[in-house]
Amino acid sequence: MNKKTKKRILYVFLIGIVIAVSIVYYLFNMPQRDVQSTETDFTLSADQIVEAYLTDATLANNTYLQEDGDSKVMAITGEIFSINTDLNNQKVIRLKSSTSKAGVSCTFTQSTNASVDGLKIGDIITVKGVIRSGAGYDEDLEMYEDVIIEKCDLINNKNK
Amino acid sequence: MKKVSFTAIVLSLFLLTSFTVTQDKLVSKSTHISFYSHTSVEDIVANNYKVVSTLETTTGNIVYSVPMQSFEFEKSLMQKHYNSKKFLDTKTYPKAKFIGTITNLESIDFTKDGSYNATVTGKLTIKDQTNPINEKAIITVTGGKVSLDTKMNLTLSDYGVVFSDGKPSENIAKELEVTVKAVYGN
Repeated sequence: MNKKTKKRILYVFLIGIVIAVSIVYYLFNMPQRDVQSTETDFTLSADQIVEAYLTDATLANNTYLQEDGDSKVMAITGEIFSINTDLNNQKVIRLKSSTSKAGVSCTFTQSTNASVDGLKIGDIITVKGVIRSGAGYDEDLEMYEDVIIEKCDLINNKNK
Repeated sequence: MKKVSFTAIVLSLFLLTSFTVTQDKLVSKSTHISFYSHTSVEDIVANNYKVVSTLETTTGNIVYSVPMQSFEFEKSLMQKHYNSKKFLDTKTYPKAKFIGTITNLESIDFTKDGSYNATVTGKLTIKDQTNPINEKAIITVTGGKVSLDTKMNLTLSDYGVVFSDGKPSENIAKELEVTVKAVYGN
């Protein structure tokens, strides 16, 4: 092996290490998925997703939740039942029809909160967000829990 | 036909009433649970604002229902690890639950503004594993609004979360500090 070949091998080796370290560093510091720019997986009404959970929660969890926590991106249409703010100063819109036992709790983010301005109870809206957990009757709470979607934003204007 | 619909209305009214949560049961959807893990390698914090809790002022019964996928981490990879089958397996066990009771209910006046020390005993279920919890909490009553604050340490291996080797065993503390806050409405 001459000197030139040795040098070449060394370079290749060094470049390899740099690439490997950058990949590890990138993966380690990879930012969170941007839900709003992710393609919607399911488009449903608030009643449909609630019903799916009340009928068969295990099946619904298998369909909508992902093992790594990056669960399905949902576009949910429904009637505004209430508008609140959580302890992280995020707007929370509860979509629920008058006949349904549970609703869909949609949490906006500090950067999408402004989309909620001007909305009022009774408006029909479509919200896009990531699903975190399903609806169901909890016998310890003695109440129905809502489907939870987070990192929400409106995807169309209200059309009453 | 008329009779049928009348019966239906009466029946549904009856059903609705029987499902109505009683007045002394406070519900909170304004909550914040965070956990903190400290090792020399790195500090990890995760926040969850989507917990639902009830507090029954007459019996002292407290329930927390925790949607596990709502824990938000700074780094995506941490969150993926946390949710995965190897750790909390949140797809199979999407919720954690605490059921407990305030044991010194006599020293708390929910109708009078003030800060009260409460002792809470109960059971915490994470990933289908249940362990007893005995903690102190502070109950604050301000203008009729009740809130609860507490801090506790959880040992991960008690809930079947064990890492014997690899990166997580160095980066994640064996014991987590968990901070809980709930503001109850009516």
